[in-house]
Amino acid sequence: MEQVTSSLAPPRASPKANVASSSQQVAGSVAKRLSSELMTLMMSASPGISAFPKHDGNLFEWVGTIEGPSETIYAGMSFKISISFPSNYPYVAPTIKFDTPCYHPNVDITGGAICLDILQDKWSAVYSVQTILLSLQSLLGEPNNASPLNPDAAGLWNNPSAFKAQLMKHYRPVTDSS
Amino acid sequence: MATNALKSQVAAKWQESFQRLNGDAPGISGLISFSEAWTISLNYLHPLDINTVPLSADGKPYGKDLELARPAFALVSQCRKMPALLESFLEDMRKQFYLVEREITQFMNAYEVDNSPETLQALVSRLMLWYKAWAPPLDSFGHTLLATYTLSFHTHLFSSLPPSFAVGFKSLCSSLLGSPGPTDHGEIWTHFDILGLIERYESAIASVAYERIEEYVLETCTGEWSRPMLEDLRVWMTDNVVPWMIHVYGRGASTADEAKAMLQGAGSRFDFHINKTLCDLRTREIFDIIIDFPDSMGALQDLKECLQRVDQRSNLVQALRKANAKRLLHPGADTKIILQQYVATIKCLRIIDPPGVLLFKVADPIRRYLRERPDTIRSIVANLVGDDDTGDALVDENEPVVPLQQPEFEDYGDPNWEPEPIDAGPEFRTNKPSDVISTLVSIYDSKDLFVKELQVLLAQRLLAMMENGERVERERRNIEILKIRFGEAALQVCEVMLKDMTDSKRIDVHVQSQKPSVVHPTIISRHFWPSLESSEMVMPGQFQQLQDQYAREFTVFKPDKKLKWLPHLGTVHLNLELEDRTLDIEVPPLEAAFIELFSQKGVWTLEDLIAGVGSVTRSAAIRALSTWVDRGVLKENPENTFILLEREETGGAPVRENRHIPIAEEATTLIPPPDHQAEQMRVYWKFIEGMLTNLGTLPLDRVQTMLKFAPGYDRTVEQLGAFMEAARREGLVVVKDGMWRLNK
Repeated sequence: MEQVTSSLAPPRASPKANVASSSQQVAGSVAKRLSSELMTLMMSASPGISAFPKHDGNLFEWVGTIEGPSETIYAGMSFKISISFPSNYPYVAPTIKFDTPCYHPNVDITGGAICLDILQDKWSAVYSVQTILLSLQSLLGEPNNASPLNPDAAGLWNNPSAFKAQLMKHYRPVTDSS
Repeated sequence: MATNALKSQVAAKWQESFQRLNGDAPGISGLISFSEAWTISLNYLHPLDINTVPLSADGKPYGKDLELARPAFALVSQCRKMPALLESFLEDMRKQFYLVEREITQFMNAYEVDNSPETLQALVSRLMLWYKAWAPPLDSFGHTLLATYTLSFHTHLFSSLPPSFAVGFKSLCSSLLGSPGPTDHGEIWTHFDILGLIERYESAIASVAYERIEEYVLETCTGEWSRPMLEDLRVWMTDNVVPWMIHVYGRGASTADEAKAMLQGAGSRFDFHINKTLCDLRTREIFDIIIDFPDSMGALQDLKECLQRVDQRSNLVQALRKANAKRLLHPGADTKIILQQYVATIKCLRIIDPPGVLLFKVADPIRRYLRERPDTIRSIVANLVGDDDTGDALVDENEPVVPLQQPEFEDYGDPNWEPEPIDAGPEFRTNKPSDVISTLVSIYDSKDLFVKELQVLLAQRLLAMMENGERVERERRNIEILKIRFGEAALQVCEVMLKDMTDSKRIDVHVQSQKPSVVHPTIISRHFWPSLESSEMVMPGQFQQLQDQYAREFTVFKPDKKLKWLPHLGTVHLNLELEDRTLDIEVPPLEAAFIELFSQKGVWTLEDLIAGVGSVTRSAAIRALSTWVDRGVLKENPENTFILLEREETGGAPVRENRHIPIAEEATTLIPPPDHQAEQMRVYWKFIEGMLTNLGTLPLDRVQTMLKFAPGYDRTVEQLGAFMEAARREGLVVVKDGMWRLNK
């Protein structure tokens, strides 16, 4: 199965590459920034967060992994996210969503969309992938229940056992077949 | 056949012409007087051979009376026959021009023999005489007709000048330019102008000037780097070339301003040529200029100015890269030399090109080369801690110590942000003028390597020094400086090492006060020191007792700590009492241990000796024993059996005088830090870990292509395979059906 998908991947990726080449000038400096962010992220090794480009040759689509912080309800779980950088990054925040279903007051359980201020109006060019991942990791333990995307989850937050049950109902462990 | 109409037409023409020539004179007397005037005029104008006719003061042949000819000219002019007159005169001139030709040939033949510009100068004067002698009088003919004459003369002249004249003319110009006293040449330049030579040979004249400029620049500026030359060159040009140029390019200018305007084009061409010549010269010399830095400051300023005028930046880069590859980046060059040259290159190119584009292009091969050298880090670190005996430190003492700069992202909020220069390569990073150490450290991807090397070096130095408080203080000062650069955290280990040194002393003083001992150990914290080479060596006899004694005292003082001796480090001060002599020497521990064994019995085999001190390598043992053999204390007889010489042997084995006895040639043996290759691989491992964490399982070739994201990745897929295999053996990854994943 893997063989088939990997052999299909290059043709699917190629139109994207063409689009990118049309705005080569811009893409150059953005790619430079992304490449150095990748280097920083790889070398810094903050525990429980990680991310890497999805395909070779394309620095604009990344896959990230966030482990639930210990001593929170998410401890021991790990969540996949997808990060998509706009061509005018870092002036505009990357688009991030959870691929692993995440039962959380600020995460849309079906689409994976995230309600986090620094990804919307509070975005600044000084943030990086690393700061985003760290923010998401801390968001898991400290949700902002005032503006929930998932009102049920926000309602259950103060009831850990019920929350945990809902969480486990939705949670799909990361498998290597992805 | 003629019709009446034609007849009457001819008659009218005739009448008109007759009227014109005859005028109002009666009969044909007008016609006759015109005919006379024509003859006089032609005679007057007739081009004579100036070799046969003497010339008057104004250059006219004698016997030609203008006063006489003038009425004749007036009459011809009145009859509107001047152009016809000129035509016949020019025809005469054409016929007579063989005279001039003959003379030209004479002069050119002479020139070919002596090759002297004076011959040509004489020819030109001579031609001028011909020109003047033949010229029709201006007042009767007017400028237009005179110009026709001049043009015609030029035409004849040019067609009769041989090709060799062009060459000769160039050398004549060059001699005029070369010799001083421009006033002398004003006349000859006027001659050139009148004869039309300037116009015809303008490119030759210009090339003379260019050659002259080149010659002068090379002559005065080659190897002259200490001061800027460009200003001097400009002054020289104003003094020497400009007066000359006025003749060529500024002829006919009436006012100074007009002349200036006329000279502007040529002047800026010449100025450009100066810049270009100087730039080429400095480009050729750039490597040596950098070697001479900072004494070559002047040359660098010149080069900077020239490069702004002349677009030779890529040439400079090429030349310097080539010179570096040929003269610097080869196995024969010492790493320290390369580093010094690199630092000098940084400083020089920062002067020439502050944004650093040139530097970036030139530095790249040097950095890559340095990265491959195994001792680069050591050299840099040795320099950092001032372990430089030559005094040629890379770092300027006056340079302020600043923290290391991390390669940063562009600060998009910086109000002083400037775009990358236009010729910057795609890899170019706008590196702010940073200090030298940051640049050197940035050769490698992480500064951890430096910190590790620093620890090893510090450990070596601390262990080598013997109870010398002053040295420790110096090291402390070094560490304080380095702390500013590398940050407090990175040098914590070094702090501990230094503290160990002072603590050792304090503890020793205390222990000695409890029970005096000859042992003065340096007590180090194992966790913080680089791994010291361990040894199985056991000190025999009294040394062992001394150690044990000291260890007991220590345990009393620090009950929670235990001393683990490293007996092979340090030195032993011995007082050796033999039957006939006493030796007072300082030796490494192994030597001391052996001689201690000889106090038990006088003859030992090598094997027994090695067994007696625990376990040491055979070569180390032989080296230690040979120290004693050289001192005449032991004797090897037969092979591998050593005898103590209680009485000095006089005849048998004379002490070799001029042989240096190696005592502790290797001060301390430390296990070297993991080499750079492994360090690089550690970076790549982080990437592999990152991609496997996020992407699950990957085949080897995907890992290989994904590693392109890691800067500087250059391994082959085979090397990667071997590396992954090694990682698998360590249990970091697992592989199944060619798919790799992390072992969780």
